[in-house]
Amino acid sequence: MSDRLRPLLVVAAVLVLVLGVVPAVLGAFDRSYLYQVANLALIFVLLAASMHLVTGVAGLLQLGHAAFYGVGAYTAALLTTEAGLSFGWTLPLAGLGAAFVAVLVALPTMRLVSIYFAVATLGIGQMLYLVMLNWVPVTKGPNGILVTSGLTLFGYDLSRPASAYFVVAVVTLASLWVIHRLSHSYYGNALRSLREDDQCADAMGLDTVRLKIESFAVSGFFAGIAGALWAHTAGYISPADFSFPQSILILAMVVVGGLGSLPGAVIGALVLILLPEVLRPVGDFRNIIVGGVLFFSILLMPKGIIGEVSALDLVRRQLGGAWRGEGTKAGSEVGWR
Amino acid sequence: MTTLLTINGATRRFGGLTAVDGVSTTVAKGELVGVIGPNGAGKTTLFNLISGFTPLSAGKVHFKGRRIDGQKPFRIARLGIGRTFQNLRIFPNMSVFDNVSVGAAGMLGVNAAGAVFGGKARSEAISRRAWAALEQVGLQGLAGELAANISYGRRKYLEIARALAMEPELIILDEPAAGLNDTETRELAAFIKRLHGDGMTVLLVEHDMGLVMGICERVVVLASGRKIADAAPEVVRKDAAVLEAYLGVEE
Repeated sequence: MSDRLRPLLVVAAVLVLVLGVVPAVLGAFDRSYLYQVANLALIFVLLAASMHLVTGVAGLLQLGHAAFYGVGAYTAALLTTEAGLSFGWTLPLAGLGAAFVAVLVALPTMRLVSIYFAVATLGIGQMLYLVMLNWVPVTKGPNGILVTSGLTLFGYDLSRPASAYFVVAVVTLASLWVIHRLSHSYYGNALRSLREDDQCADAMGLDTVRLKIESFAVSGFFAGIAGALWAHTAGYISPADFSFPQSILILAMVVVGGLGSLPGAVIGALVLILLPEVLRPVGDFRNIIVGGVLFFSILLMPKGIIGEVSALDLVRRQLGGAWRGEGTKAGSEVGWR
Repeated sequence: MTTLLTINGATRRFGGLTAVDGVSTTVAKGELVGVIGPNGAGKTTLFNLISGFTPLSAGKVHFKGRRIDGQKPFRIARLGIGRTFQNLRIFPNMSVFDNVSVGAAGMLGVNAAGAVFGGKARSEAISRRAWAALEQVGLQGLAGELAANISYGRRKYLEIARALAMEPELIILDEPAAGLNDTETRELAAFIKRLHGDGMTVLLVEHDMGLVMGICERVVVLASGRKIADAAPEVVRKDAAVLEAYLGVEE
């Protein structure tokens, strides 16, 4: 297959699957519960992909990711219910709001290393969660916020389950494309070098502090986008949606899928959202099965379902992003175009 | 000959210990200068003072006429100083090519918006530089390998290639022969000589006297943080202070 054709086919296959096959299947069953599951799966794909960038690629263990997801969700929900803004405004503003909070958090914490940074993000995640829970005049506290309006774009009402699914799918795919370009390029290489040895990266001329803050902000931005999608499609948000266990769930998706691997993060998210749904018939026992799957998958595949090395190799060959030195044989693609 | 690097009274104190004590020297464009000294003489500290990893307690460092002490390491690197580390610091979980491309990317600049929406010009410039550096050290055949999987000797060259991909004006090598056997050390000496022959300015810290004496045009000798000699190898070899520092003096 020609090198030019293959990437187009891969992209076309993903688009047909997400925007064609899945909605067709959902339409055939036409149950709002199934649409909700599909939306949730896509939202967590985006959350895992955004955490992949900061934790997998840049190597900053982030234990408060769900809080940025929450900042995005509350921003979107409040802008809709209080200010009457529609989706075209709430979506970017939710992303920017979360990115802004991420920068505020990053500025003092970026000089911390490894486990100390992780504990700092844990604390900040908890703080943001407690703000959502206790700032009752604004967030309505534990009662949460009912979001029944706002999913309109250029005056079109997109709140029907089928059209809402398309909104979530298109936003998720576009965000994934951006995260793909960031992780699979010289930019991603630079972030990986921070993970490997940031002092050494410094000696190569990389502004390591700026890059860390930037990756944290971009990751926060997409978590905020995911939050807006959740607020507008779930119809109701409450602090529990953005608590510590959610952060750990996202982390588990990234690790089970393969730390540093974008396809892995996507697959990890799909497995951990869809598996409990598929196992619904076995009742409460399903949680034990999900735990078992987590445990054994990490025991048997410590590098994840698709480890970083295989993921990069896959992207280089299937998406044609690789560079080939003169005089080298085919199959030795390296670097990023 | 134009002076590239000027070190003027560089001093670094760690608590009560003075690791580098008033060292002054210069490196001219195109020179190959060696820094030797017994263990604990302050060689690596001197390197870290130049590259900005350790701040000076006193003194000044100029590069191309600009004062560089007090600047962050990445800014000093961008002015054109590439370095390697004493204990081999590569990026183990990245491919050989990706390792080297970081050196090029650091110099050409990375930005998120450019990576997402920009054209291919930047990535191709980075790739070309990285490939050229790999060819220079002869590692192009291993470009796709994970850096952790190649042999120790090759990793040494990988680290040098990464610094070369920065296309620096001055390269500082911190004990490149550490851990290499005699044959590998000879090969490395030939390589450094070739690099210098191609016009690179090299500052070399080395424990291995033979390597430094064999290839350097000028040798700076440190002992207990002080400069005790700064001359051609054949002069340094007969210097009384140097012999005392290395062999001890007979009572």
